[in-house]
Amino acid sequence: MWTKVFIGVGVLAVLGVAVWAFRSEGDSAAERTIRVTRNIGGRAGFKRHFDAWQSAFERKNPGWKMELIDLGNANGAEYYKSRIATGDLPDVVMTWQLTNLLADGGHLVPLPDSYYERIGIPLPAPYKGKRYTSQGGMQIQGLLINKKMWAGIGVTEPPGTWDELLAGFDKLKAKGCKPLVYGGREWSAFEPLFYAIATNVYEREPGPGKPSWTILRNQGKVRFAADPAMRLVLEKMIQLLDKYVDKGAASDGYNEEQKLFYGGQGATWMMGCWIGGDIDANKVDLDLDYWPIPSMTGKPPLFVETSGMPSGWAITTSAAGPKLEKAMSVLETFWDPDVFQLFLNGEYQFNVSSRSGVKQPKSDWPPAQRLADTMLARLARYGSTRGFHIALDDMPPPIMMDNTFKAVMQEILAGTRDVDKLLKMLDDDWDSGLKGM
Amino acid sequence: MSAAQALANPLAAGPAVPRLPAEESRTPARHRKRRAGAEDWVASLVLCGPAVLLYGGFVVLPAVLGFAYSLTDWSGWTRTPHYIGLANFRELAGDERLYSALRFTLFETVLIVLFFTFGALLLAVLLDKLSCMKGLIRGLFFYPYVLSILVSALLLKYLANYNDGAVNLALRWAGLGRWAQDWMMDPQLVGYFIFGMVAWSSLGFFTTLYLANLQTIPLELYEAATMDGAGPLSVFRHIQIPMLMPTLMTNSVFSLIFGINLFGQIVVTTEGGPGYRTTTIGYYMYWLGVINNRQGYASAVSLAVFAALLAVAVAQVALLRRRQVEL
Repeated sequence: MWTKVFIGVGVLAVLGVAVWAFRSEGDSAAERTIRVTRNIGGRAGFKRHFDAWQSAFERKNPGWKMELIDLGNANGAEYYKSRIATGDLPDVVMTWQLTNLLADGGHLVPLPDSYYERIGIPLPAPYKGKRYTSQGGMQIQGLLINKKMWAGIGVTEPPGTWDELLAGFDKLKAKGCKPLVYGGREWSAFEPLFYAIATNVYEREPGPGKPSWTILRNQGKVRFAADPAMRLVLEKMIQLLDKYVDKGAASDGYNEEQKLFYGGQGATWMMGCWIGGDIDANKVDLDLDYWPIPSMTGKPPLFVETSGMPSGWAITTSAAGPKLEKAMSVLETFWDPDVFQLFLNGEYQFNVSSRSGVKQPKSDWPPAQRLADTMLARLARYGSTRGFHIALDDMPPPIMMDNTFKAVMQEILAGTRDVDKLLKMLDDDWDSGLKGM
Repeated sequence: MSAAQALANPLAAGPAVPRLPAEESRTPARHRKRRAGAEDWVASLVLCGPAVLLYGGFVVLPAVLGFAYSLTDWSGWTRTPHYIGLANFRELAGDERLYSALRFTLFETVLIVLFFTFGALLLAVLLDKLSCMKGLIRGLFFYPYVLSILVSALLLKYLANYNDGAVNLALRWAGLGRWAQDWMMDPQLVGYFIFGMVAWSSLGFFTTLYLANLQTIPLELYEAATMDGAGPLSVFRHIQIPMLMPTLMTNSVFSLIFGINLFGQIVVTTEGGPGYRTTTIGYYMYWLGVINNRQGYASAVSLAVFAALLAVAVAQVALLRRRQVEL
C-alpha cells in the first residue's frame, strides 16, 4: 500500500517539476516576445510583409521575438474578447472598427503625438482626448473593372452617375457578359450597399459645424426609415440585384467572386483596393481598371477611403510595463522603407507618410503594376470620402458593417421588395447595436 | 481469521473465536470504521473530484455567471459589467427577432423530433430485418455521426452551392439542370436544407439506440405472435412499439435537445441568412453576445430559453411516461 503511495507521490512530483520547468522556460521566452495580430489567411503578399517586419524588428532588438497571431479572414472581435477575458490580449493589435470598444475597455495604450511626428503621418482625431491608432496606408474602395469587357461596349472612362453605370450593365448583359460579380453569402455581400450609403447618405466632407449622419442618428434626429436618400439607395439595390445578379449568387462567397472575376467571367467587381495584392500573387492576366463609385444623388463619383486613422486598417498597442517600449518599436519598424513597401505591395494601399520614402505598391507582374498606377491616377483625379469612417466617436455600431448590411442584401436576394421592411431592419440593428457600445 | 474480521462478521468466524469484552472492542472498531470512512472519502474524491471540478467549472459556474450577466449591460469588452436590473428581461417581451428565431427553431425542432423519433424507428426495424451485409449497412448509416458537426456542415455547404456544388453538377450532368436549385440560400428551401443536414449527420445515432433496444426484445414474443398468426405490421404495432417505448422516449427528448440547440450547422453554412431567416435561438444568442457585443442581453435570452426548454422536457417526459404505462 505504502509502496504504491510513494510511487504515486514520486510520479506526481516529477510531473510537477517538469511542468514548473517548462512553464519557467515558457515564461522567460514570453517575457521577451511581442505578439502581433494580423489578418493574413492565405494571402501570400501579407505573409511576405509580416516576415520582413518580423525580421527587421528582431534585427533591431536582439534577444526579442515578434510572434504572429494570424486572425485569418476574421476581424478579431471574437479572438480579442476571449483574450480580454483571460487577461491575455496581444501586445500589438489590428483593431478595425473595434478601436473604440478596446479603448473604452481600457485595453489600449494611447500613442504619443511624437510617434506620429516621427513617422510623418497626420495626427488622427483624438478620442476622449487621446490618440490611439496608427494607420498603415491609404486604403480605398471602388469598382474593379475588366477593361476589355467594358471597352467591348464602348465604355473606357468611369460612368458619371449610378444610372450610367447600370446603362453599361444593360449593354454588357445584352452582349452576353456578366456585368457584375457578386456573392451573397459572406461579408462581401455588403459592399454595394456600403458604397451607396457611404457616398450618398453621408456628408462627403463632414466638419465641426456639420454633424455626420451617425451623430444625427444617435441623437434620434434621423432614421433610415425616414431618410429619402436611404430609401433611394435601397430601391437601387433592389434594382441592382434583380437585374444584374444571377440565380445562385446567394450561395457564393468571396472566393467564388474572386474565381469568377479573375477567370475573366465578370466585367465589374465592387471590391477594395487590396485585391491588387491577389492579382500580383496569383498572376492574374487581365487588363484592369479601378473606377470611382458613381453617385445616385447627382454628386461627382469618388472613392471611399476606409483607412481613416481611428478605424479601418489600424494598428496599435495594448502593451504595458517593459514591453511597451518594444511594442512601440514594432509599430515604428512597420515604417521601415523595405517593410512598408511590402505592406503596400500586399494590401495595395498608398503611402500617407511624409517620411517613408515609399509611394505606392510595386510589382514585377505588369497587370498588377498597371493597376497600381491606374488606382493612383484615378484617386488623384476623383478623390475620396471617408463615408462613415470619420472618428472613433463618430462611427456606426460595428454590427452594421459586420452583419446588417449583408443581411439586408440577402433579404433582397431572397425576394423581399418591401423597402420599409428593409429600412426597419437597418433601424432595429442600429438601435440594438448602440446598446452594445 | 483476525479478531477484527471476526468482529466484522461473527457468523463467518470459526468456532473458537473468543469474544472481546464490550468496552475493549468498541474503540478499535470505531477507529477502523472511521478509517474506512476516510478511505472511502479519499477514493470518492480521487474518482469523482476531477469530474465534479470540470462540471462545476465549465457548466455550473458559467450558468451562475450567466445569470449574473443577464442583470447587466455587459458588452464583453470591459471587465466591469454595469448592473441594470431586469431591463434585459423586459426587453425580451418586445424582441421581434427573438420571436422570429423561436419560430424557426420550433419549425426545425418539430421536423427533427418527428424524424428522429419515428423515421429512425422505422429505419431501425428495417435494418434489424436485414439478412446480409447487416454490419456494413448499419455502419454506413452511422458513419456521418462520427464526423464533427462542423465537418459535415462544411461538406454540405460545398455540395449545396448553386454553381459548383456536387448536387447541382450531378443534376446538370444527368440532364436535369432545370431542377438545380440554390439549396442553401433559397428562402423556400433553406429550412429543409438545414433539416436535411441534421438528419443526415445524426440519423445513425438515433437508429443505433433503437437497434440496441430491438435486440433486447425476447424472441419468445415474436414466436408467440407468429403462432397466433400476426403479420409484420401487427408485430410492429403490438410488440415492437410497446417494447421500444423507453428508447422512443429517450430519442424524443434527445432530438428535442438537438433541435433547440441547433447552432454549429448554422454558423458554418447560412450564418442565420438569408437575412435573418435561419437564425435559431442558439445562433441568435451568439449573434447578440459575440457579433453585436450584447453579452448581458444574450445571457438573459439564454436563461429564458433554458427555463422554457426545461418546462417542455419535463412535460414531454411526463407525457411519454404516462403513455408507456398505458401500453
